[in-house]
Amino acid sequence: MVPSATWPPQDCRPEASILPPHLYYPKEAHYEKFTGTDHSGYQHAKSRGVGRTAIVIDNGSSSLRAGWSFEENPRLSVAPIFAKYKERKLNKHYSFVGADVYSDTTAKSHMRHAFEAGTGIVANWDVMESLLDYVFLKMGIDGASGGVDMPIVMTEAVANLPYARKSMTEIMFECYSVPSLAYGIDSLFSYDYNNGKTGLVVSSSHSSTHIIPVLKQKAMLIQATRLNWGGLQSAEYLQKLLRLKYPIFPGKINASQMEYLIRDHCYLSQDYDQELSKYLDWTGLEDRDHVIQYPYTEVIEVQKSEEELARAAEKRKESGRRLQEQAAKMRLEKLILKEEELEYYRDVQRRIIDQTKKEIKRILDAEDMKDEVALERTIKELDKSIREARQKNIGGDPIEEEVEESNYSLLDTPDDQLDEAGLKQKRHQRLMKSSVEARQRAKAEKEAEKARIEEEQRLDDEKRETDIKGWLAQRRNALAETKAKMKDRDRLKADLGNRKSLASQIRMKSIANLASDAPTKKRRRGNDDDNFGANDDDWGVYRQIAVGDASGEDEEEEDLGATLKTLEADLLRYDPDFTEQHTLEAQTDWTKSLIHAFLRGPRPFDSTSQAEVHQLHLNVERIRVPEVIFQPTIAGVDQAGIVEIAADILTHRLNGSSAQEDVLRDVFLTGGNSLFRNFDERLREGLRGMLPAGSPLVTRRAKDAVLDPWRGAAKWAGGGGWKEAAVTRGEYAEKGSDYLKENALGNAYS
Amino acid sequence: MTVPTAEAIAHQELIDKLDIHSIQKPFRNPHWKPNQRRNKNIKTILGDAVRKEVSSLMPTKDNSGAATPSPAGGSSTTSISGSSTPANPPPSTTLQPNLAQASRNLSKLVLERNMRTSGVSTAPNATYMNIESAPSLAHGRHYCDITGLPASYTDPKTRLRYHDKEVFGVVRTLGQSVAEQYLEARGAHTVLK
Repeated sequence: MVPSATWPPQDCRPEASILPPHLYYPKEAHYEKFTGTDHSGYQHAKSRGVGRTAIVIDNGSSSLRAGWSFEENPRLSVAPIFAKYKERKLNKHYSFVGADVYSDTTAKSHMRHAFEAGTGIVANWDVMESLLDYVFLKMGIDGASGGVDMPIVMTEAVANLPYARKSMTEIMFECYSVPSLAYGIDSLFSYDYNNGKTGLVVSSSHSSTHIIPVLKQKAMLIQATRLNWGGLQSAEYLQKLLRLKYPIFPGKINASQMEYLIRDHCYLSQDYDQELSKYLDWTGLEDRDHVIQYPYTEVIEVQKSEEELARAAEKRKESGRRLQEQAAKMRLEKLILKEEELEYYRDVQRRIIDQTKKEIKRILDAEDMKDEVALERTIKELDKSIREARQKNIGGDPIEEEVEESNYSLLDTPDDQLDEAGLKQKRHQRLMKSSVEARQRAKAEKEAEKARIEEEQRLDDEKRETDIKGWLAQRRNALAETKAKMKDRDRLKADLGNRKSLASQIRMKSIANLASDAPTKKRRRGNDDDNFGANDDDWGVYRQIAVGDASGEDEEEEDLGATLKTLEADLLRYDPDFTEQHTLEAQTDWTKSLIHAFLRGPRPFDSTSQAEVHQLHLNVERIRVPEVIFQPTIAGVDQAGIVEIAADILTHRLNGSSAQEDVLRDVFLTGGNSLFRNFDERLREGLRGMLPAGSPLVTRRAKDAVLDPWRGAAKWAGGGGWKEAAVTRGEYAEKGSDYLKENALGNAYS
Repeated sequence: MTVPTAEAIAHQELIDKLDIHSIQKPFRNPHWKPNQRRNKNIKTILGDAVRKEVSSLMPTKDNSGAATPSPAGGSSTTSISGSSTPANPPPSTTLQPNLAQASRNLSKLVLERNMRTSGVSTAPNATYMNIESAPSLAHGRHYCDITGLPASYTDPKTRLRYHDKEVFGVVRTLGQSVAEQYLEARGAHTVLK
């Protein structure tokens, strides 16, 4: 569909009706506050007696949540990051955990993650140990018994790697000497906490999305499926998109800000394709387009008041006047000097009138003059310059340079009748004559050109008056031609950038031809002389092969632009069908531009405003990023989307089993990445299309998609299931670090 | 040496307070000496697992015939070691084969098989690799690489998909490297190996 078709007509231009945008500001992970050590929980736990309390750790890749099993909420929520460095000045080691890392720039640069990027598998055990240290410290474990004397319940990824589990178990028993340890899967804890018995658990979290069918409180892990897409990947994707959208954005776009942007602005579209195709349409774009204002410093331009400006102008004028006066005075002085000189030479001239030749020579020598002619010339020159100067001082019209009715008398005399001086004179006269003639010719040409243009204009006007239709048609054709020329030029420019294009190849051929001593073409004709240059157009080849020489191009560009402008002006004036909207400028106007709507929203963009340069516009991205979980191919993930996975589990793997309907009745959503608006409706509608008609389909969300895994684990700790599943220190010592007791909410041994 | 400002002092106090390195951790076992090379990424872990399996299979020449994957499946596992008779029957036949499993590549299959044949558990397991979702069977829709809108066209030069004429104009102004970045966002870029 053509988006411009839905554009409103010209009369409701947007500027007038649109309010200034609501600005959102970027947020990012930062240091919040110091977390103190709280001993009360530990005292309470001890007072409850052995085996009734556990430390519950939800070891998630976005944040590690830890607390006491008898409490409602986790005490700590720590980002799984760690920084350690040595301060050289103080010769001291520093270690920071969680958001504390952000408190110091050095620490920030040493930040390391516990998890392998984009997965829920712990890869850095030094970081993991420090995280656990932090947790036990802040929870007030005093270590009186030389270890952590509380059982541990911990979550892990679905189908966690045996090596990762083994390492964790080793750390727990060897380093912290815990009495017992039990593992479970976070999403299953969440489901259990929300009283799920049989259903399909859809857990979309920070690093991945899992779909696990659960039958009678027992997870069918062999049917579990993982999609490698979660909040982290979404943030990375958005970052990639925005960097491409604003390649020269002056602000810093980091992944942490992206997570906040996704959380605050993105939502799942109920009908993606339908909503998407209208997303950049004009109507309502101001609501769909969210503006993120990054910090910037306004360049302050000192605005001068009217008065100041006037004063400055006056000052300028004043100084100009002074300069003029000075110049006039100088000129006058010079003039006087010249006049005196003239008078003197005239006097000399008078004096030599009736003198002997010898005397004349003496006088002239004393004046440094060669002969009488020279004296006369000097006088003439002085006289002329004085007259000119006077003219200038008075400021009247410059006197027409009087054509010296120079005598060309000698020109007709043959050379042999002249002496040396005569010959020189003759040469001089010839030169004078030719230059005078040339000047006259040029003048005549100029006049003829002027007359021709006038004539053309007259004919054009006449034609317009007599045959307006033909005239207009002609103008239109000219306009179209100019446009085509501009387009051709742009295309040529673009093509020359591409080595393989026809234009470039032709150019290379011309260069080769010029460089070659025996151009192929000529040889074929059997003509040795190629006559290059005989035709003036031949030289055009050098213009053709010149590339990147901007000066010439600019000129041409200017020229075409000017032609276009005059043609459009003519048409605007005389053609009733040609309105402002038809001009090229109006057609390339930003209100018509889809790209403008995409990059800058529904308002004009002022590239000189620092505020606007520092703005990000989120529009299509708001639904494009969350959509990936339903269509992973959008972001290049070669996996099926969650609807397809869920439908595959429900219709193929559970086909025929009586459980299928029960599972359908409870599709359960958990995990931070499932919090998008419309996630449940979208999944329900998607599944409905793939299931038999009339299937009883119910989707529900976890009460708290983020904290319920921890709460579920806390609830489970202390119950019978936990007691059976926990591996004690004795069992560990006897059976080794690979030993695991399977339980309904945990991974199977593999 | 410059005199530290009040701000710098406050910051120093803060980071001293936040530091956990200097805090005593009595709950830690002082004799705990972790393996220096315990940090491994998933690729290494999986590689190690394969190597371990291979080396454990190598010396026992007598089972080489049985270890050849046979199409019959389950039955061959019993003949390798008598001790590991499957305790659990194979999963109910009414359940359809796992589609994800079907589309795994051969090396994963072999690894999977070896893990199973090594004898501890005989029921098919969910492993980190085999629970990964298979490629989509649905026909993927095309979206504009620049704007994200539905795209009906592809530029043959850059292979970018675009929504309309105006976007095409933009596509043509992009350099090769920028076009490649757009393709990368969709996972369609050329990878030189």
